[in-house]
Amino acid sequence: MQSETRRKLLELFSQAKGDFISGQKISEILGCSRTAVWKHIEDLRKEGFELEAVRRLGYRITKAPDKITANEIQFGLQTEVLGRHIYYEEEVTSTQKIAHKLAYEGAPEGTLVVAELQTTGRGRLDRTWFSPKGTGIWMSLILRPAIPPQKAPQLTLLAAVAVAQGIQEVTGLFPDIKWPNDILINGKKAVGILTELQAESERIHSVIIGIGINVNQEIEQFPEEIQRIATSLSLEKGEKINRAELIKAILLKFETLYRQYLQHGFLPIKLLWEGYSVSIGKEIIAHTPNDSIKGKALGITDEGVLMLEAADGVIHYIHSADIEL
Amino acid sequence: MLKIQEIRELIRLIDQSSIEEFVYENEGTKVHMKKPGSNIPLETVVKQTVVEPTAPAPKQEPVVQPTPAQPAVQAVEVKQEEKPKQEAVNTENLHKITSPMVGTFYASPSPDAPPYVKVGDKVKTDTVVCIVEAMKLFNEIEAEVNGEIVEVLVKNGELVEYGQPLFLVKPE
Repeated sequence: MQSETRRKLLELFSQAKGDFISGQKISEILGCSRTAVWKHIEDLRKEGFELEAVRRLGYRITKAPDKITANEIQFGLQTEVLGRHIYYEEEVTSTQKIAHKLAYEGAPEGTLVVAELQTTGRGRLDRTWFSPKGTGIWMSLILRPAIPPQKAPQLTLLAAVAVAQGIQEVTGLFPDIKWPNDILINGKKAVGILTELQAESERIHSVIIGIGINVNQEIEQFPEEIQRIATSLSLEKGEKINRAELIKAILLKFETLYRQYLQHGFLPIKLLWEGYSVSIGKEIIAHTPNDSIKGKALGITDEGVLMLEAADGVIHYIHSADIEL
Repeated sequence: MLKIQEIRELIRLIDQSSIEEFVYENEGTKVHMKKPGSNIPLETVVKQTVVEPTAPAPKQEPVVQPTPAQPAVQAVEVKQEEKPKQEAVNTENLHKITSPMVGTFYASPSPDAPPYVKVGDKVKTDTVVCIVEAMKLFNEIEAEVNGEIVEVLVKNGELVEYGQPLFLVKPE
């Protein structure tokens, strides 16, 4: 975790929105000497921030590094709750595991766990999620919503909408959502979301939303067996994407949607989700553990359940399945 | 006795099905639903008789349940009658671990792994006994009781309903 002074300093630069702040002003607000300010500035430089220092004007940040420590994420972050507590480590087994532990120990709502590298990134049913160093966003968000546990799956659809909106804003790409929450760009998977619940029978302790985004991988960096079906945002966009910017955008979208959801329920989220859905109106196959159902995706219910009309006209309500387009 | 969520879940399932009329009776509880398409007057009636061997149940007032997501069923009425307490007392002292949501039941953390628990295993309140998954939300279900697994009621990969018993546990 970063120091409180560091957090305040970055907040000052955020608020200045690219204008200069004098060393005098910084030392007054932070309550430390000019020399200490200079040392903090040097520390930021070492971490890859580019700062301009001009006599009589002061300092300003001209470029944040393509790192995703708490510094870069909180620099310019506009949320009130999400991402206000960040737990960063360069290398972790899995951000989900750490988030579980933090949640159990009482970490507040909005706590974000983020890492450059996951050694045992997980997908559905412990399938490995390939998460090499410095190329993607591997993060887990802790929420503590006061909703009944059986409604919690809706949050996975909400998460997909938030990530899709963030990607769209930062990259200009047009993401598609495949039920329930895979994100595809031009038909290839770029984002996976896995959510875990800590709950008692009637009360949620925490919802931990794990989000893996392929951001800057080159095609050779994917294992051969998934090169045909996976992609990264930079491959689709044709240029590198700043990961911290993307995380900030996603957190802000997420917070807005989450507020709407807590206040108005799932309906507004459902409409947005349908706007991104790639499968509605199409023939798809739903693979469940014991069965495969082929049919036309009619849409989702007010609970987020997929409605699939089989050839015999029977409508199946799918709560859990792998969808093949 | 049915919980309000269970009644809600029932309404949802009936509403989404082609069933026109539905009657359910069990231990003094009666649920009767009809859809507006059918000839019979339009209502859903839930009658519940509490079988409480020890303490008297809190008196439940009739409730009119708003059902925004279930347009086909327009009202739910919950009526409750007190009945003499000679009704069968649950002789089995087994604890049921139930599913907190609709989803797929997974007995093990991954297809190749051994199950979390099997019959005869001792469990503690915080022992994970299975996972229920819906829409890629994974819910690790804890035993919530100290005891021994007596029966596994569901098969791996099966769809389970809200409130459906998953395991029987002999408490210690």
